[in-house]
This record gives sequence, C-alpha cells and structure tokens, in this order.
Amino acid sequence: MLLACLSGRWRASMSRGLVVAPLPALGAALFASGASLKLPPLLLGFALLLDTPAALLLGAASLLWVGAGWYADAWLRDRPDPGRFTVWWLLTLTGSIGVFMAADLAGFYLMFTLVSLAAYGLVIDGGTLEVRRIGLIYVAFAILGEAFLLLAFVMLVVAAPGVHTMIREAVAALPTSPLRNATLVLLVLGFGVKLGLVPLQSWMPLTYRAAPIPAAVVLSGAGVKAGVVGLLHFLPFHAAWPGWGETLTTIGLISAFYGVVAGIAQSNPKAVLGYSSISQMGVITAVLGIGLGSGNEGVALLVACYAVNHTLVKGGLFVAVGVAQADAGRRMWSLLLPATVLALGLGGLPLTGGWLAKLAVKPVLGSGVVGLLGSLSSAGTTLLMIHFLVRLAAVPAACPARSMLAVLRLTWLGLALASVVVPWIVVVTLLPGALTNAVSLGSLAEAGWPVLVGGLLAAALSPWRHRMVGWDRADAIVLRTTDTAARLGCEIGKSTEKLDLLLRRWPVAAILLLNLAALLAALMLVTG
Amino acid sequence: MLTGQASTLPETNSPIGFLLVLAIALPAGGVALSLLLGGRGAQRLAMATMPLGVAVALVVAGNIWRSGRSLTYLVGGWHPPLGIALRADGLSAVMLLTTAVVIGAVCLYARGSFGLPAGADERRAPLVFWIMLMGVWSGLNAVWLAGDLFSLYVALELLTFSAVPLVSLDGSAATLEAALRYLLFALIGSVLYLLGTALLYGGYGTLDLVLLSHVIKPEPTAFIAASLMTAGLLAKTALFPLHLWLPPAHAGAPAGGSALLSALVVKGSFILTVRLWFEAMPSLLHLGTSQLLGALGAAAVLFGSVLALRQARLKLMIAYSTIAQIGYLFFLFPLASAPAEATSMFGDDWNGIAWTGGMMQLVAHATAKAAMFMAAGLIAEALGHDRIAEFAGLGRALPVTMLAFGLGGMSLMGLPPSGGFVAKAMLLVAAMAEGQWWWAVVILVGGLLAAGYMFRVFAPALAAVDVTMRRRVVVPQSRQAVVLALAICAMLLGLMPLRPSQLLEVGRPASVTALTR
Repeated sequence: MLLACLSGRWRASMSRGLVVAPLPALGAALFASGASLKLPPLLLGFALLLDTPAALLLGAASLLWVGAGWYADAWLRDRPDPGRFTVWWLLTLTGSIGVFMAADLAGFYLMFTLVSLAAYGLVIDGGTLEVRRIGLIYVAFAILGEAFLLLAFVMLVVAAPGVHTMIREAVAALPTSPLRNATLVLLVLGFGVKLGLVPLQSWMPLTYRAAPIPAAVVLSGAGVKAGVVGLLHFLPFHAAWPGWGETLTTIGLISAFYGVVAGIAQSNPKAVLGYSSISQMGVITAVLGIGLGSGNEGVALLVACYAVNHTLVKGGLFVAVGVAQADAGRRMWSLLLPATVLALGLGGLPLTGGWLAKLAVKPVLGSGVVGLLGSLSSAGTTLLMIHFLVRLAAVPAACPARSMLAVLRLTWLGLALASVVVPWIVVVTLLPGALTNAVSLGSLAEAGWPVLVGGLLAAALSPWRHRMVGWDRADAIVLRTTDTAARLGCEIGKSTEKLDLLLRRWPVAAILLLNLAALLAALMLVTG
Repeated sequence: MLTGQASTLPETNSPIGFLLVLAIALPAGGVALSLLLGGRGAQRLAMATMPLGVAVALVVAGNIWRSGRSLTYLVGGWHPPLGIALRADGLSAVMLLTTAVVIGAVCLYARGSFGLPAGADERRAPLVFWIMLMGVWSGLNAVWLAGDLFSLYVALELLTFSAVPLVSLDGSAATLEAALRYLLFALIGSVLYLLGTALLYGGYGTLDLVLLSHVIKPEPTAFIAASLMTAGLLAKTALFPLHLWLPPAHAGAPAGGSALLSALVVKGSFILTVRLWFEAMPSLLHLGTSQLLGALGAAAVLFGSVLALRQARLKLMIAYSTIAQIGYLFFLFPLASAPAEATSMFGDDWNGIAWTGGMMQLVAHATAKAAMFMAAGLIAEALGHDRIAEFAGLGRALPVTMLAFGLGGMSLMGLPPSGGFVAKAMLLVAAMAEGQWWWAVVILVGGLLAAGYMFRVFAPALAAVDVTMRRRVVVPQSRQAVVLALAICAMLLGLMPLRPSQLLEVGRPASVTALTR
C-alpha cells in the first residue's frame, strides 16, 4: 500500500502531479484504518500502523494537500523556477503523510524531521531578506524541537525492555521508566514547538505571514497536525497522570487565550490566522491534558475530530486570503459569505463543522472552571475571527491570470464545502451519541452563547480596532531577540577563533601536550 | 565466542592467517616496486593492488564473520613475547574493510587528478601520490593487525611518514609549512609513545597486548607509561587541544590526500589508543581517566563545530569538522567502560552498544568525510576556488557532487537514515542508560552545530539564481559517481540495527564485557 503511495508520490515530480500525489494517502485513510504493515529491512524496516484517530487526521490532511496541490500548481505556472518549490513540497508532503502512519520511533523521527525541515524550502520561497530571516527563525525553532524529541526518544528506547523501537511498546513501558518525568517534559516541549504552545509559539505567526499562501495552507492545516498526532501517540493515556494532565491543560489554556489577545492586534490576516492556530492548538492541548489527567484513552478520537475541522477550516481560510489577494473585488460575496461561515464555525457557530468539533470535546472539558474557560476561548475565537474577516475584506487585490483565479475560486469553494461536510460525516459515523444529545434547543443555545458574546465583544471593540492594531510587539521582540542571539553567537565564534589561534601556537601546544600527560598520570596515581 | 582466540595463549596459526601478512605486504610491495618503475608504473601498480587488497579485506572479514573467531598469524612461527603475532578480531575486520573501501574510492577518484594521460611527461607529484597512497594503506593495515606495542609503533611511523608527503604534494610554501608542522608534532607524539613503550618493556618484559594485559599492575611505572603513550597518541589523533597541525594539513593536501588523512590516518592512532586502554591495560582505565578523555572529546566537538561554522573556505570547514567528529570518538572511553552498577538500572549490554556506536561513528565518519573532501575537491576544480560565499547556483552546476556532499553532511549531522545517525543514536542511548547525560547533551549540540555549518554551504548552493555559474573545468561524471557511491556507503550504514554488531563482537575486548556483568 505504502509502496504505491511512495512511488506515486515520487514519480509526480512535475508540478502537475501535486494534486495527484496525496491521493494514495487519502485512499489509505478511507480504507486502511486499523491496518498495519512491516516493511522489509531493505526499506529500513519501517513499520506502519494507522489507528482511527490517526486515520481521521490523515484523511483531512491529505484532502487539504490535494486542494493545496491544485492551488500550488496554478500558482507555480507563472513563476520562474517551479521545480525547486515542487521538490520541497513533495518532501514536506511525504513527512506530513508519513508521520500519521509511522509505528516505530526511527520512522516517526524521520518523518517528523521531513515535515519540519523540508517546510523551510517552502517558507523561504519569497526570497526577500526579511523572509530569509524568518525562515532562519523557523528552522531554529524546528531544530530545537527536533533536539527535544530526539532526547525524549532516546530515553524511551532506553526505558523499553531490550532495544525495541515500536512507539506503542515504548510508550507502554514509559510509566515504569526511571526517566519518566524527563521524558514527558521533553516530549511536551518537542511537540509543543510544533504546536506553537506558549512560550514556544513565536515562530508560527511570523512563518505563516512570510510563507507563500499555498505553503501556509499546508503548514497551518496539515503540518501542525504532526504535533497533534505526536501527542496522541506518545503520551501515556492508558494510565492517569493528574499532575501532568493539569499542567498540560494549563499550558493549553494559556496558549488558547494568548493567541486571541495577541491575534486581535495584528493587521495582516495571515498573521491573525497564525495566532488563531496557537489558540486552537492550545484548546487541543488542554483537552489532551484532561484526558491524560484522568487516563481517558477515548479522548484521542475526540481530539482527532476537533483537529479534522481545524485542518480544513484553517487551510480553507488561508486559501481565502489568496482569493482575496487575487480577486479584484468583483465577486466578494462568494468569498466573504463562506469565509464568514468557516471563521465563525471555528468559534462554534451552531450547525457548522466547528460546532460539531466543539460538541465532541465539550464533555471532556466538563462544566466546571475548565469548561467555562473553554467556552470563553470560543468567544475569544469568534472575536478573533471577526477581526480576521475585517482584515480579509481590506486585503488589497492584485490582478493575476484568469485561469489561476478560476482554480483559486474552485479550490476555495471546494475546501469550504469540505470543511462543513466532512466533520458531519465524521461525527455521524463515529460519534452518533454526541449528535443526538446535541440537537436540542438547550444545547444549541449553550453552544451559541460564546459566539454571541464574541460577536458582541467585537462590535463593542470595533471603535478602537484601528488603535489596537499594532499593539502587539511580539514579532518585533522575537526579531530583536534573534538579532541579539546572532550577535552573541558571532562574539562566541570570534572568541573561539582567538582561542584557536592561541592553541595552535607551538609553545602553547607543546606545553599542553606535556601537561596532558602529567594530568593523566596524576589522575591515575590519585584514583588508582 | 566473544573473547575469541586472542586471549587463549599459546596461540596457533589460523588456516588463512597468511592473508594478514598479505594485507600489509601487498601495498608495501607496491611501494617498493613503484620506486623502481617510476610514475606511470606506480599508478598502474596502485590500480592493480587496489582490487587485490579489497579482496584480501573481504576474505578476512568474511571469514571472521562466518566463524565468529579471530584470526592469528605468528610471524616466523615464533610465539610472543619472542615473536610477533598478527591478530585480526572483529574490530580489525571492520577497519580493514573501511580502509579498503575508502582507498579504493580514492584510487578511482585520483586517476582524474594524478593520472598521467598517455604520452604526457612524468611528474614528481603523481609518483609521490601513488607511492604514499600504498604506504598509507600498508601502514593502516599494520595498525589494525599488529599485536604488540612495538610493531604498532613501527606501523604508526610508516603511516605518519607516508601521510606527511601527501600534505605538500603541490610544493607550495604554505603546504610545506603545514607538512613540517604535522611531521614535527607527530614526531613529538612518537617520542612520547616510544618512551612509554620502553617503560612498559622495562617493567614487564613484554609488549604483546594480550600478555601485557595479564601481567600489568596498577603501579606508578604503568601509570606514567600509559599517560606518556596516550598523550603521544592524542597528539597524532589531533584531539583538541592538540589539533594545531590538522587544519592546515588537511586543508592544504589535494582532495584525495585530504580524504585519506581525514578519513583514515587520524583513526590509526585512535584505534591504537583504544587497544592500549581496553586490551593492554583495562585494569588501569578508571573513572577519572575515561571522563577526562571524554571531556576532551566533548571540548573538541563544541570547539571544532563552532570554528567550522566560521570558516570562509570549504576545505577548512571540513577540516575543522573533522576535529569535531574526532571528539565524538572519545566518548567511547567513558561510555564503553561504565561500571556494572551504572548500567544495571536498565539491564542491557550498554557498554557493548557504546562500543558498537563508537566504532560505527568511526566508519561512518570515514566514508562520509572522504566523500565530502573529494566532493570539495571537485567543486574547487570546477570553480577554481572554494569560497563558500560564492557558491550561489552550485546545486545546478554540479548536482551529483552536491548530492554526495549533502549525503555526507547528513551523516555528520546525524540525520536518519545514515551511518552517523545510527552511531550517534547508539552513543546517546548508552549515555542516557548509564546516567551520563552530559555526553548526550554535547552530542545533540554538536549535531545542531553540524546542521549549522552544512546549512551555510547549502543555503547559497541551492538558492535560485538567474545567472548560470561559470565553470572553469567540466568535471567528468565518473569521478562524481565515485564520490556519490562513497556517500551512499555512509547512508547504507544507517540500515544497521541499533544493537551490538555481530562482527564487532568477535574478539571484543573482554574489559568492555567484563565490566558489564
């Protein structure tokens, strides 16, 4: 199965193939849920496994990749060097798809590395100095996350009896590991970078703002889900970890609110979406935290449902920005109407996919303080999304080729439709119970009030909106910090060079050599 | 099976033990004949020796792999301590193979730079190159096989004296100075080593590794001898802070020579250090010593990587990266000699995993670094310079070479699937399992820095440019293919499972195992 995927994907080296490339993965998501496969040693002995939550994520991600591939194909036509972008695109795609299916540690690490690092090539395609700088920040964060994860994986391998490399066995052995706490901290840090959890979030809005729109579509929609599937597969949900769960929930909620507060101060709609992603991933993390605290394995499926909606909606909204940039204002209704539905759906507007997603996680959040905070974050999301719609309407339009516009508009409408229909299909087939409870007037009202509050807040804040924009200096701070770090690195480098010059002088080297011999002898005399 | 024949004295000749002599004598004979035949003959001879030498290495390694036993050959039929024993255990087999592969690749590659077209006048540089290539090969094989400290000294000298001329082949003042620097420092190292050997002989009456391990006692004579020999060997290995000779020498040599020096020659004295501590005097290897060696390695990793980041020229960058990669090798000392109580927490053969990981790092670095130096040579030939800042568009001009360079770089960074990944993963795992997490941090930071310096090359090389690069010379595809093949070898090593390797288990020093149990 995957062989077909791989060859299909690699043969599609022309940009034309970008649409076709993710199709095998989509097929796998639909038909191969629960399947597993051990590849022969020639292919590194990677093992594949697709459980239901991962299949959901895979399905949504590959759907988005198909749509985005179509977009990217059209977008690449009038660009000078499409081959380079295509190669990075396919590499990122391989990682993004593979990460959902990898069953062994090495395979997962490889795929995670691919989806994180190959995306650099997509981000820097703008080519300006500013974009390159942001690309470096992205890579720095990605590599930081990789380092956390590698260390965590090493600890997992150490703790598992024998040298096993299957994720499931390693995670099953985690609770009894002497290195348990360190492993869990590193796992959360590593995946937290990918998810943009506070305080590791600063790369996300910057990157989405700098990346070309097709890249932003897949990164925000599908790429980030590598972090979600990571937490799903690596956190030990089979036992209850109250302290850990609460910590994770707190981190998640902080991120959820930080995303809203920082997001409404942005003027660029792509940056607004970036902050919204921080917020949404925060909600997901909070739900996972509760699941971890109570040892609830069922939470994985609910989170996957929530993430499916986010994949399609966030990807779709980025396409909307693309349409707004391309369309010279003639058929705004075809843009703004679905965009409104999608955006407000993210906040939980009844009967949308977002509403279903919120329904799915509602029982987990409960009705206590956490539940209230969850509802408040929905209100915040609504507020943020209204801000996004306002900024979207204000996007200045360029005038691209007609064919591209048609493709763009079709992609947009297709994704918009999918983001409403797919969550319904998912919830009806997998969580029928949740639905029957939900379709009552009371619960509709309950789901509706955060949206209403958010809307009212937006209306109340609108007179000050132009003043709020530009409040947030987070981006500037990040850029300044990286500049300082770069300067510091330069200083370290310079002093190391001076040290090198000193060490490479004859008398110094000779003295060091003799001292080393003396030191060795002394050490042995003392300890021996 | 683990300790093999080496520890059971008196020994007898293995049935195919004569091949061990052949492994040393074949290239040595080539050197002698070349002196008679002159330049063109030397090249032909080297090209003829190459497949034979590879075949010998293959047969020896295959035999050890299948039988699971070490090979021994007593020269002249005399037993140690009177006679000289050649011994091939799993480690020797791995090193013989690595040497054969790298030298084979260098031979094919160097036909382009030192090959004499028919009818051309003979020149000095090609003659010296081919002779010294065979000299290095002979010296290396002798280091891998010799069984006593004096034969090892002779082997090491043969290696040094063959390696030094490779540095100054172009005869310029700068490379001559680099070669002299190398020669002088290596000589100081030799003197220290010889002094230590003399002390040991005076104290114990034997220099045979196996016999010595039985009689050596923790007492001042042994301590002083061990520290003198170790310091001398570290000077030859260019371990930080004794690296003064390495950057100019490795960057100044022609690409094929740099590949040999960086991939193999420095490993000779390293393996000797390993044999000294783990085989001849395991009872002397205590916590303090092993941690000191590891700490020097850690300093080398950080220092070499930071400096590699700051080099403007590609070959110097690769040379400093060698300093860093040598550092990783020395993690072997603390990680493969952990006391039993440290490894018991997770109950597995962690010393053995560290042992395999360290050797894997050696082999992966040898193949990857040789490929990178040769790729750098092709780049320099094509562009006429190796200034990293002016590499824009190189990815399009030399795609195969850049691919090879990139694959080598992946191994240095420790990205999967590559030999470097397997090696670093094993060292990391062992470090965590033995509770020596500080080495794990250094390994990770070293990987990040390596990613940094590889990125510096790749960012301009892969950037989209409108102007096509002006190339001075068109580099033939065949030479690019050789480099790529070697880089792919480094990748294939990544298919190794993450457990103690079967081949390396043969004759693994009892100390590495004994300390675990």
